[in-house]
Amino acid sequence: MTELTLRRSELDRARVLRLLQDYGVYAGVAVLILVNVVLTPNFVSGENFRTQAVQVAPVMIVALGMALAIGSQGIDLSVGSVMALSTSLLSLYLGYGPWIAVLVAVIGGMVIGLANGSLIAFIGVQPIVATLALMVAGRGLALVLLPQLKDVRDPGMATLGSGSVLGIPYLVLIAVALAIAVAFVVRRTTFGRQLLAIGDSRPAAQLAGLPVRRVLIIVYVVSGALAAVAGVIATARLTASDPTSLGTLMELSAITAVVVGGTPLSGGRVRIGGTVAGAVLIQLLTATLIKHDLPPSWTQIAQAVVIVAAVYAARERGKR
Amino acid sequence: MTAAPDAPGQPPPAQGTPALAVTSLTKSFPGALALDEVDFEARAGEVHALIGENGAGKSTLIKVLTGVYQADAGRVRFLGDEVRFGTPLEAQDAGISTIYQEVNLVPLMSVARNLFLGREPRNRFGLIDFRAMHLAADEALRDLGVRVDVTRPLRTLGVGAQQMVALARAVSVDARVVIMDEPTSSLEPREVATLFGVIRMLRDRGIAVIYVSHRLEELYEICDSVTVLRDGRVVHTGRIADLDRLRLVSLMLGREMGQVREEGLTKFSGDHAAAGEPVLQAEELTLSHMLHAVSVEVRPGEVVGLGGLLGSGRSETAKAIAGALPPESGRVLVAGSEVRTGSTPAAIRAGISLLPEDRKAEGIVPGLSVRENIALAALPGLSRFGLVDESRIDRIVDTFMERLRIKASSPHQKVGELSGGNQQKVLLARWLAMQPKVLLLDEPTRGIDVGAKAEVQKLIDELAEDGLGVLLISSDMEELVEGSDRVVVLKDGAVTAELTGDQVTEDLLMQAIAAPLPADAGDGAGTPPGPRKEAGDD
Amino acid sequence: MKSTAQLGRTAVRTLVATGLSLSLALTAGACAKSEDDGGSKDKDKGASGDGGQVVSSPSAGNAKTCTIDQFGAEKLDLKNATVGFSQSEKEANPFRIAETASIKAEAKKRGVKLLTANAQSQFSKQISDVQDLIAKGADLLVIAPLNSDGWGPVLRAASAKKIPIVTIDRKINSKACKDYVSFIGSDFVEQGKRAADQMIEATGGKGEVAILLGAPGNNVTTERTKGFKDRIKAKAPDLKVVFEQTGEFSREKGQSVTEQLIQSNSKISGIYAENDEMGLGAVTALKSAGKKAGDVKIVTVDGTRNAVQGIVDGWIHGVVESNPRFGPLAFQTLDTFTKGEKVAQDIVIQDSAYTEKNAESDLSKAY
Repeated sequence: MTELTLRRSELDRARVLRLLQDYGVYAGVAVLILVNVVLTPNFVSGENFRTQAVQVAPVMIVALGMALAIGSQGIDLSVGSVMALSTSLLSLYLGYGPWIAVLVAVIGGMVIGLANGSLIAFIGVQPIVATLALMVAGRGLALVLLPQLKDVRDPGMATLGSGSVLGIPYLVLIAVALAIAVAFVVRRTTFGRQLLAIGDSRPAAQLAGLPVRRVLIIVYVVSGALAAVAGVIATARLTASDPTSLGTLMELSAITAVVVGGTPLSGGRVRIGGTVAGAVLIQLLTATLIKHDLPPSWTQIAQAVVIVAAVYAARERGKR
Repeated sequence: MTAAPDAPGQPPPAQGTPALAVTSLTKSFPGALALDEVDFEARAGEVHALIGENGAGKSTLIKVLTGVYQADAGRVRFLGDEVRFGTPLEAQDAGISTIYQEVNLVPLMSVARNLFLGREPRNRFGLIDFRAMHLAADEALRDLGVRVDVTRPLRTLGVGAQQMVALARAVSVDARVVIMDEPTSSLEPREVATLFGVIRMLRDRGIAVIYVSHRLEELYEICDSVTVLRDGRVVHTGRIADLDRLRLVSLMLGREMGQVREEGLTKFSGDHAAAGEPVLQAEELTLSHMLHAVSVEVRPGEVVGLGGLLGSGRSETAKAIAGALPPESGRVLVAGSEVRTGSTPAAIRAGISLLPEDRKAEGIVPGLSVRENIALAALPGLSRFGLVDESRIDRIVDTFMERLRIKASSPHQKVGELSGGNQQKVLLARWLAMQPKVLLLDEPTRGIDVGAKAEVQKLIDELAEDGLGVLLISSDMEELVEGSDRVVVLKDGAVTAELTGDQVTEDLLMQAIAAPLPADAGDGAGTPPGPRKEAGDD
Repeated sequence: MKSTAQLGRTAVRTLVATGLSLSLALTAGACAKSEDDGGSKDKDKGASGDGGQVVSSPSAGNAKTCTIDQFGAEKLDLKNATVGFSQSEKEANPFRIAETASIKAEAKKRGVKLLTANAQSQFSKQISDVQDLIAKGADLLVIAPLNSDGWGPVLRAASAKKIPIVTIDRKINSKACKDYVSFIGSDFVEQGKRAADQMIEATGGKGEVAILLGAPGNNVTTERTKGFKDRIKAKAPDLKVVFEQTGEFSREKGQSVTEQLIQSNSKISGIYAENDEMGLGAVTALKSAGKKAGDVKIVTVDGTRNAVQGIVDGWIHGVVESNPRFGPLAFQTLDTFTKGEKVAQDIVIQDSAYTEKNAESDLSKAY
């Protein structure tokens, strides 16, 4: 009898944790919005929502690629450096016009992704090591190409950075479109299914004849491309290329968004909606603390608390 | 070499006295009794074989003896005193050395450092005295008949030489008991000879050697006594000379010779009308240390069994055919055309499907649903422009869930939550959705309950009747004999016999497994009653 | 393990190859074409003589001084000497670029042989850089230290060889005229005070202002903050500092933080940015929020060309200079010292300032 009730309560606990992991991030966003509506002046305004959305866009885009990498039981630490490389290339090629420059920047990101993917898929280097190497190399390359901050005066980039349609900034539209595209790929395509299978059990996927190497390489190329797009967006917003500081610690923010969003670090599962919400959660948290002029170190501590809570929920559930 | 200062101070025990003895040892894991009242005794100056098939309890016993696991009940006596080792280190300090299949030393350190790791000779400043250490290491290895440069990093040595270093270390710490877990599995014949020389030397010094191996030849060559474990119990212990090979194999497998059995305990219906050209031809597959020119043929509608003990190369053969292990030489043909070896996708495209032995780790994708698991391999064919055609998947999944009677709460239930039998059926469905020509089934019924087992066996039968070629691997003698039309027997990675027609009986199969290796691998002289493989016997 | 090591090596090789081909592909020199190619007007800025430093203290005669006899070295002729220069950070920001360029230009002008090294923000590298410079035969050293502490061993080695050292822009915690000769640099507290003066003047001493702090834990940040707040408290108690958040000396962070600030606090009348980059970030934020030039008074510290241009455009109220052109003063100090005359132990330079009055005319002085 007691054993049975114990079982029952354990089951309830597991269910609560599962709900917490799957939907906790949305609840967190809701709570933060409520708190701000009550406490923060001018929070409920189109201008403020636009600001938050524009600020979160680069993190969100990088986190989409990170979610794929984590879903394949990997990780991509090179994203911040890819952003830096992207901004350097962009600035270097703007003379040919914004479209060419953006294309070159994105291709640069894809090349870094290709290097990551090749190291991981063909040589068998652990993702954390491979992408760490490219993180160091990428930043170095970015600084070789553009040693210091440089203003971007291209009108096309300025429009991209501050223009909007129907009150929605272009940057936000791009981020949302990319999120929808990645969610579609994960859910509806062969690639998405294969990615999840590889992330869940690589030996099984291999024996089932899945193109493991191809999928892994695509994952990192896509992650590189997305990080490069984030670099372009950040550059447009700042109207300057700053390879020294752009994207620093971006990998941590992106990983946090993914994990908080309910994607387990053990792979086999990708939650794009959760990832987007995770990025928004971190943005709101930071914004709240800044708006209320709390010490900057609090932001870091608050982020740490959120990560620990998310990982705890995932772990407990993993034990089952 | 007796430089070890921390060795137990007693003189070696007299030959024949018990060095390590356990009584009524019991150890259980959640859901499984691994050791059930085991009595076991290793005597000084004796090489004692410890054998058993998968899950017999060998490794659990070794782990209890070396302090990795703690026994639930029972006593361990070491040199006459009752002991209880809390950690492997305690066991090692007491004088029990273990040499594993994979050498557990530090590959980047020098041979000498490895030999003296943790007990390096010191000079008067408390620093390592390298000169003394190198001299002592050289001497210790020369003692074992090994000549290497002891200053080289260990990893630059061959596997055999590394094993010797491990042995030298075991000897130099003044071990009283040396446990060897399949020490020859990756050695060349010449290295095996050296190893045996060393083992004999240890024995003559009064050390008790516990020797785990699946190679019968080795057991008879080097061991004095033997203990056979099965299902966690000791089924036999005694002098190995008093036990003939056939008896040994039947003890391991748990099948009696000449045992009168009721037919039809399994769900296999008997012979299939195998006809036509072979659908699968594996020719001379060779993989270092694992396979030596293994050839197998399967015709449509035929179930060919692969017999042999654990480690005989059965799973490796299946994996080499399925592209999961790249053979160094040999060919695989499906319906007469050659398949690129070493590539799973190529093998699958050619119509080869493998149900792997380790279902949980290599078969199912536990976090995905039944539906996704069934559709996994066939996905590219069920997609258009990279987009998944959900309705076609639904149709296929429904068909197979019904046909294979897969019990799941819904197609969306995670496979990891299903029972073993249903997991196996999901894997079968995954492959059947590919419409394969050849099915390689590695232990298809291991670890699943009786009812599901019968169902899976029945399915295999039906599939063969539908014209599929099936290669069946099973440690269950009954299943192998009743399910197969022919049985190819493997031993130490080579085909040693083939049983056809009326010869497919448990008695003959056991005899074939127990038969000594022919002197010349290519020749059938002195081999078992079953005729040797004949070329093109259709 | 064996295979791991091999893998590692292969990986490194692949990486190097990838890196090389990448840089080749990307820099394929002729291909790149940035916006303002051809008009390289910014080249060798900072090397020009204008905007050179002026000493503000010691003005009185009571400051501590040092002579070559006190130091214990031998007189020499600077013209025939070899000077070693150890830079702390990569020349990736205007300050460091101008600083290094100024040292090089002055050495060239005086015909002195100069050896240079850059520590790339690694203190251990700076230590070995200095040791290298000494080994290569430097008779005199100019050091822009990355840290104030941890110089003991190197300085002991240098003073054993009686090599005079001048440190610039940051002071070393060690004995002047014994371990080193003089320190030449700005007074960061004073910079903060002067920024406060400009802010008080801009806002009329009333209202609410915000501070964009520099990188946390940096002495420049703490001193520029202290000077600013002390002066506000003393001279304009009606001016309230209501917001202090870090922009980490980067333009992007300065922009993000300012965006948050102006959303939630529309009454803010001034922003004090502890460097130009953050101030420029604040300008971008104000622009995209639809503010007009001059709505919010911005005061920054550094004196880079972009910021001074900001004054001309009306977005920035004032810039307090932190002059990086140490070349002339450093060499003049060395010259005086090696001739055997007195030099001050602490030479604090007179930083100028840019306001709407002089911004346009002095734009060329900005770095």
